[in-house]
Amino acid sequence: MGGTRNSGPETPVSSYDGSPVGAAAGDPIVTLFESMRPDLLRFAHWLARDRALAEDIVQEALLRAWRSRDALKEQAAARAWLLTIVRREHARLYERKRLELVALDDGVELEGMPSPPGPDSELDSLRGAILKLPLEYREPLIMQVLGGFSTAEIAQELSLSSTAVLTRLFRARNKLRSMYGLTPAPDDIDSEGAA
Amino acid sequence: MNHNEARLLIGAEPHAPPSAELSEHLANCRECSRFQSEMVALDANIRRALEGAPAGAANAPAATASVTPITGVRKAKKEKPTNVWSGWALAASVAVVSVFVIWALRPSDTLAHELVAHVEYESDSWSRKQAAPPAAVTDTLAKAGVALDMSSDKVMYARTCLFRGHLVPHLVVSTLRGPVTVLVLPDEKVAHRTNFHEDGMTGVIAPAPHGSIAVLALGSASVDDVAAQVQQSVRWLPQH
Repeated sequence: MGGTRNSGPETPVSSYDGSPVGAAAGDPIVTLFESMRPDLLRFAHWLARDRALAEDIVQEALLRAWRSRDALKEQAAARAWLLTIVRREHARLYERKRLELVALDDGVELEGMPSPPGPDSELDSLRGAILKLPLEYREPLIMQVLGGFSTAEIAQELSLSSTAVLTRLFRARNKLRSMYGLTPAPDDIDSEGAA
Repeated sequence: MNHNEARLLIGAEPHAPPSAELSEHLANCRECSRFQSEMVALDANIRRALEGAPAGAANAPAATASVTPITGVRKAKKEKPTNVWSGWALAASVAVVSVFVIWALRPSDTLAHELVAHVEYESDSWSRKQAAPPAAVTDTLAKAGVALDMSSDKVMYARTCLFRGHLVPHLVVSTLRGPVTVLVLPDEKVAHRTNFHEDGMTGVIAPAPHGSIAVLALGSASVDDVAAQVQQSVRWLPQH
């Protein structure tokens, strides 16, 4: 995602009371933000794995974005900027409530399950498998595929090295690969990504 | 570059242009080359999966123990291959890969389903009361190389959406039968016109000079007349 990067959102706000104070319905920036709500909601939904929670995250993120709108240097970069705010909002919520209660780093268990009737079922199954990825793998994958972030941008956002991000992306796909009955690639990479 | 390094890069960024070093490795390593092909196909499916809603996510799938396998073949991870079974394992692997590739490359058998899912996800697009700004409509369409010869006050919603890995114009047009969704799909070529009914929606996917055009509306009434009108109204710009 090229283009001018924007400043980060302002300091966190702990609550909101509906529409941003002073935001007019016809305000171009509000219109721009609202036009991206479906994308933001989809992104948040995959992170949070809960539609209602995702709506809360997006609402809070849009409010935060509106309050920090001066930091948006150019409208072309609005999508990446908003997605970043949504991700941070999810991270805050995750930190506050520890919503990830179950460790899932063993991938998906397929033994004894019926064969799928068709491609739609396969896609649904793939969605299920993505949801079961641990957040450390799911998050960079969603950022890359759905958000369009580069490895360097993900590394910056997650405070990781680029190599560590590459490792997480590799492991995420390697876990999904196994559900196709394809032999996973050997994973001889240490946690810092050195092969 | 060794195999592990090559597979790390492929698995992390399947669609990224390979570096010179990786290209050289792939040119000399059939296994890694096959791994790359599989990962590219897998990534296309991941993209399609993520473009939809994570169905059932609110029901905490994390707590469940299993999911339905995609290929119908048990996960190879836990199976210890032996020499006796190596031939069968090879044949099974080829079959699995073939099924997977055929499914990944299928042209449009789930196109209608994915269109319906996409529209359902943006169902709020049908509740717009005011026309979309004409400039926004023009800009949205221009990104796909098209223009619309239609009164701009009929377009209530216009945005560029990610669909099947491509950015496409998503419009909602006000008609006598209510709001109708129009998606211009330059990258989805279809051989013939297809009508469908799914989840309370009626739609048609029609071939276009570049790709196809999808028209969907709530209810069971035909949208053929609207589709015909849209087809006549869409102009493909020269540069496309």
